[in-house]
Amino acid sequence: MTRKLRIAHLFPDLLNLYADRGNILALANRAKWRNIDVQVTPIRLGESFSILEHDIVLLGGGSDREQAIIGRELKQYVPEFQQALENGMPILGICGGYQLLGKYYAAPTGEKIPGLGILEMATESGTTRLIGNVVIEDPKTGQTIVGFENHSGRTYHSYDPLGIVKVGHGNNGEDQREGVRCHNLIGTYIHGPLLPKNPYLTDEILSLALAYRGLDGELEPLPDDLEHLAHRTMVERLLQGSRSG
Amino acid sequence: MILGIWAGKLTQLLLRLLKRRGTSLPGLVALKVAPHLLRTLGKQLESCILVTGTNGKTTTVSLLREILRHDPEHIWISNAEGANMTQGITACFLQACNVFGRLKAKHAVLEVDEATMPQVVPYLPVTHVVITNVFRDQLDRYGEVDGTIQKLIQALQDASVHLIANGDDPLVHYVAMQTNCRTSYYAMEAHSRILKQHQQIRDGAFCLYCGHELEYEYFHYGQMGLYRCPHCDFAAPVPMFRGMPQQEGLEIRTDEQEFLLRTHIRGLYNKYNVLAAASAALLQEIGAEGIQKGISAYQPMQGRMQIFTGTPLRILNLIKNPTGCNSVLQTIDEDPGRKTVCVAINDYDADGRDVSWLWDSDFETYAPGLQAKRFICSGTRAGDMAVRLKYAGIDPALITVEPNLKSAHDLAIQDTNLPAYFMTTYTALFPMQQIIEEGLKHDEKTPHRALIS
Repeated sequence: MTRKLRIAHLFPDLLNLYADRGNILALANRAKWRNIDVQVTPIRLGESFSILEHDIVLLGGGSDREQAIIGRELKQYVPEFQQALENGMPILGICGGYQLLGKYYAAPTGEKIPGLGILEMATESGTTRLIGNVVIEDPKTGQTIVGFENHSGRTYHSYDPLGIVKVGHGNNGEDQREGVRCHNLIGTYIHGPLLPKNPYLTDEILSLALAYRGLDGELEPLPDDLEHLAHRTMVERLLQGSRSG
Repeated sequence: MILGIWAGKLTQLLLRLLKRRGTSLPGLVALKVAPHLLRTLGKQLESCILVTGTNGKTTTVSLLREILRHDPEHIWISNAEGANMTQGITACFLQACNVFGRLKAKHAVLEVDEATMPQVVPYLPVTHVVITNVFRDQLDRYGEVDGTIQKLIQALQDASVHLIANGDDPLVHYVAMQTNCRTSYYAMEAHSRILKQHQQIRDGAFCLYCGHELEYEYFHYGQMGLYRCPHCDFAAPVPMFRGMPQQEGLEIRTDEQEFLLRTHIRGLYNKYNVLAAASAALLQEIGAEGIQKGISAYQPMQGRMQIFTGTPLRILNLIKNPTGCNSVLQTIDEDPGRKTVCVAINDYDADGRDVSWLWDSDFETYAPGLQAKRFICSGTRAGDMAVRLKYAGIDPALITVEPNLKSAHDLAIQDTNLPAYFMTTYTALFPMQQIIEEGLKHDEKTPHRALIS
């Protein structure tokens, strides 16, 4: 049976501050390379859509202004979101999209931008931006995830994190935790091209999505030499950098 | 102040003795010794034209400098090497003054980084400011594009400044409307290659006043085009200066006159620079003939389709943000033959430490059609670049990762029958240029065997 996946890319016009297209390209290509049919649907502002008709939802990063617009737009979809989350749909929230999943984001102007409240999580604004390369480690597998963060928000929650910070700031610069995992939802400040350089995470999401759809989640390995080289180079450079300095 | 000048000049001298390029360091040293140096030197000027915006600053300033140079009455100081932050601008003033701090010129035309504008504008007698465009660029340094917009608005609160603004860019138009400055807009007219719709990232696709998606009659590139907000009265302004791209150059149209500027400068994005420079020159009451002379005298800057003649032909390009990168890819794509492409991506501070912009650049549209026999990825982020090309649909067998610039260069020119295109980020540009030049010198000494027989 042909395996097929439907990816909803929410508001690519608005939530694409840091090259979130990279994440779509990683998911779509890695599925395609295994002969899995992929359909990516960009959802535009004002268009009505059903979350439950998809197998993966991607919420990218946006500026504060754009985030407020999206927050208002998505309010009507909260019950569906909640249901999808509990059914085990993989949801990926990046940066602004990650903050949006929580209860609110307190902007630097003092304005509280309400989030979707799907997670018991809140984001306060900090006085400085937390910027730089990041290496985190999945506490369960020991697998590293590498990328770049750039946020002024400090996010607090008591779910499992996506990883433990080895280099970088993470959720709030305090507790050495970065991102969130809840059911099959992943939220993270590692923005834009999170997935291309972390192919194991991409495959995990694809596999979960297939299982969510009731299909065989097994994925045959791909020749990932370039991805591993890019990943390893950054991990080695950053871990070395943090030890020596 | 004199101490600051001496410290700066000494640094300049030392750098020259060490044969090092230093466009900013002398300024940094001088400002450490005399923090108000820019203010003191700036006071001696009578007038100053600034060029700011994301892309096209260096080219626009260079064009404008060539045009203004043809008036022997005025000597203009300019930072045409592209050092556009406070230290770089100070360094450029240092070069233009004597050991007693006397400036040799009364006028300046300077490119200024958007984020640096608030630190520079108050200290110079600014008469005109050209704003080329506002795109996402080095987000790790500036934060979001909204931050850039706010910096520009903050810098431009002095109503005596006359803005020369790109009317095709809704973000630039918004900046101009948020100031009290008198504004003259320039814009491109609809030409045969305009796009009715496109998928490129648009930074300004939404109305900054009311948040509604802007409606476009057509696009030039990026968010540039004829736009209006369907909800409020924000719409593209009526331009004073209009450009019409032609095969042999750019036609400039105003209510009073029309004239063709002949230029070999390639790419629509560069024609915008010509239009911006011509608009600024027309406001300085320089006529068509004077503008043409300047444009003809203009030499493309380092890394702006800079051609090195040799075997093989080597062409060097700076890339630093998605729109600029797309424009370079588009221009390489116009060369129909097979070629070698070498992309060197560094992630030092001056490059931007975040390389996620590579994923916003449209490699999928251009890379597979470039007819590249081989892609060589270099620089500190060679691996990232290789992954980017793979996910853009390039066969990994055609991709070589070689972080070392010299080795990457040598691989790129191995195939002497194919022109080698080099695309590099800022900190790899000058090293690569040197490597190319040394390679060519070496070729001269050891002529190609085929040529002897």
